[in-house]
Amino acid sequence: MPEIDLLTYDRWLVASRKASTAYGNRFLSEDPTGEEPYSGAWNLERGQYQQKRPYSLTPAIGQGTIDDLISGYFKVKDPFTQADLVETEEEQLQEIIFKLRTSPYISCREVADRLLTLFNDAKEDDPMSIGIVLGSLRNFYNFFQLYTDLKCPSISLTPDNNIYISWRAKKNRVFSVHFLPSADVRFVIFKPNDRHPEKQIRLSGTATADILKETVLPYGVWSWISE
Amino acid sequence: MKGDKIPDQHHIARYCKPTHAPDGQIQATAFMLRLGEENLSINCLELLNCSGRENEVAQLQTIYATKLSVGARAKIAVLNVGEVRNHVLDESPDRRNLKVLHDPQSEDPSHSGIYNLREDDELIAELIL
Repeated sequence: MPEIDLLTYDRWLVASRKASTAYGNRFLSEDPTGEEPYSGAWNLERGQYQQKRPYSLTPAIGQGTIDDLISGYFKVKDPFTQADLVETEEEQLQEIIFKLRTSPYISCREVADRLLTLFNDAKEDDPMSIGIVLGSLRNFYNFFQLYTDLKCPSISLTPDNNIYISWRAKKNRVFSVHFLPSADVRFVIFKPNDRHPEKQIRLSGTATADILKETVLPYGVWSWISE
Repeated sequence: MKGDKIPDQHHIARYCKPTHAPDGQIQATAFMLRLGEENLSINCLELLNCSGRENEVAQLQTIYATKLSVGARAKIAVLNVGEVRNHVLDESPDRRNLKVLHDPQSEDPSHSGIYNLREDDELIAELIL
């Protein structure tokens, strides 16, 4: 592995994994706490999303009038545009993240908050982007609904804004999953070679999210990524 | 000069967006290609011609500020060229020989790239990390 090259300066915040030295400084780290990182940022609590236009959950039958039901984007008078599509997808993203937050079946309560942070960071980087690819989020949601005992992974976004999660453990164990917009996932496993302790087993593959557990069963991954 | 090999003893820096470094921890996603990208964009620190790492990083920040929308929690990963190349060559299943080549841009003369990556290279990205 490349050497650890930690340098600490007063003005640098240092965050590092084994192979890399990471620098951030106060110029980069102007604390956005308490302020929206961008004009359409979501807050964490349902009902506090910073909507640019009216948005409501679908009313239950018997609630409200027909005008209440035909709210939000159905009232948009202009022809359907790319901006409308993005907003529609954003609303679907919000719905799924809200479901993740409130699902009684998901053991890791922080995933929704982490996704919101990633979404806001992605939108800050490129306000015109979707933030997180909807298909990838759906795939991720279905995975966490299916496997309810998972420990909290690190969650990041690929350059194409798909969700990528990683679990790491002692002896350089790594299990990472890339949620593609289809139902597919690509995964990476690093694990110790029990017969040759100086070596490591590394493999990668593709599967659908629903059979990932069976697919990686021979490699003993689930025992250390689940509670 | 464009296409020149960056020597193994040199160091490269990769800008890591906040989405690649949640909670301040750089993830493998920082070393993945976007769809259609030919190489991983980096800078060679030695080609910045600054004295000392601190000055090199300060110079990088100036460059990033002109080219990128720098995120509040962005990070810079610094790697040794030879260590990355040898590690990936030795440990990847296909003995991947990464190329680190100079790819200067008009406003960014130290700009370089890591070549021989593919878009579905999660394993290689994990090795670089």
